Amino acid sequence: MRDRPSAADLIEIAREVLQQELLPRLPPELRTHGLMVANALANAEREISAGMAPELAELGRLASRYGEGTDASGGERLQGALERLNRRLVADIRAGRLDGNREIARHLFATAVDAVRESNPKYLRSRGIE
Amino acid sequence: MGLKPEEIKSPLAAFIAEHACARTVRITALERFGSGAVQENWRVDAEIDGKAEVFVMRASSASEGVAESMSRVHEFALLAAAHAARIAVPEPLWLGSDPGLIGRQFYIARFVPGVAAAHRLVRDPALGDALVARLGEELARIHALRPGHPALAFLEMPQPTPARANVARIRVFLDRHPTPHPALEWVLRWLELHEPPCRELKLAHRDYRTGNYLVERGELRAILDWEFSAWSDPHEDLGWFCARCWRFGSNEREAGGIGSREAFYQGYERAAGRNIERAAVPYWEVMAHARWASMAIQQGVRHLSGRDRSLELALTARIAPELELEALHLIRAIEDAPRGASWRS
Repeated sequence: MRDRPSAADLIEIAREVLQQELLPRLPPELRTHGLMVANALANAEREISAGMAPELAELGRLASRYGEGTDASGGERLQGALERLNRRLVADIRAGRLDGNREIARHLFATAVDAVRESNPKYLRSRGIE
Repeated sequence: MGLKPEEIKSPLAAFIAEHACARTVRITALERFGSGAVQENWRVDAEIDGKAEVFVMRASSASEGVAESMSRVHEFALLAAAHAARIAVPEPLWLGSDPGLIGRQFYIARFVPGVAAAHRLVRDPALGDALVARLGEELARIHALRPGHPALAFLEMPQPTPARANVARIRVFLDRHPTPHPALEWVLRWLELHEPPCRELKLAHRDYRTGNYLVERGELRAILDWEFSAWSDPHEDLGWFCARCWRFGSNEREAGGIGSREAFYQGYERAAGRNIERAAVPYWEVMAHARWASMAIQQGVRHLSGRDRSLELALTARIAPELELEALHLIRAIEDAPRGASWRS
């Protein structure tokens, strides 16, 4: 078991140093770069904090849709199972087998919301989703 | 990696001297513009036989860039056709089609002053309905160019329709991409099933949005970035301009984050002399989010491939989820809208 400070703790403090100490001292032509670095760190921070929960939830919904068990808990196996089931889902969508299927629409919406919670939580607030 | 000013200065000076029929050309400054994730844009300050002039050089990216973007040769021809039709564009001057000159294809255009940065424009309180009406008018002028134009024979006709061609192109990309994108696929299937009739084909800019035009003292100066232009349904540009993803946080101003949708539409209709099919625009806003999502994913591929390593490109890929979500959200809103609000009823 790893002790803390964890990767998330390190990224958090690195971002704080960047925003509070470095950004105000950057020359104007480098400010955009500084903001992009802060944004990248915040993105990574949120992804690490969310951990495996969003992908496990996605896999749970996919597995129940396709009548499979969800024992994929190891990192490698989770990715492999997600990719396989998502490929099947994509093929079904393209073939028109899921046209108008509200359950799938809800699944895709929930999966997208989880992803945006990591990439841009402000969007969810501005759209009144959260 | 980008072009190196010290390496291209002297071949560029020789190129300008040859085309401007000048005895001496000295390049006094060469500076890359911040924008242009797909192409490289440079401001070129030169002294031509002692007289100071300012140009813009637009060069292809180091890698192939985004799949659907056209070559500099075609972009130059398009700009020339637009300039001849009195559309506000930077006047194209000389084409460097030999990639041996500076390592890429490029062309030189006359510099147009103004601000293109979207984040600045949407926060400028002096800008509003007058500017979007003017942008509507300019778009109508672009749409006055039609298939059969003698200088634009290189533009392909969309097969079988503009909407289907867009969907097919995105699917081709997704088929080669290592990660499946079921939400985007769902949106594409919806677009396939709900296509409004395309009544006419016009020259469509296909990246007509805030960030791709220059404004100086409140006035529209030039329309930029023509690399995605094609024959299409004119509603594609209207939907792209109004799509939420191009309002840069100024969400309540639906026309490009600058003004009202109605002012934009009316400016267009006055100049075009025909009405916009208002109910078809939301469909093209869904398309806008789908297409921009696929382009955002491609920007991530460019970064990961190592040919165009860039934090900006990597972050652009992280926009894809919210574009997919916005498209799903819009589809819900369209489907929940009362009957009669749809083009299908």
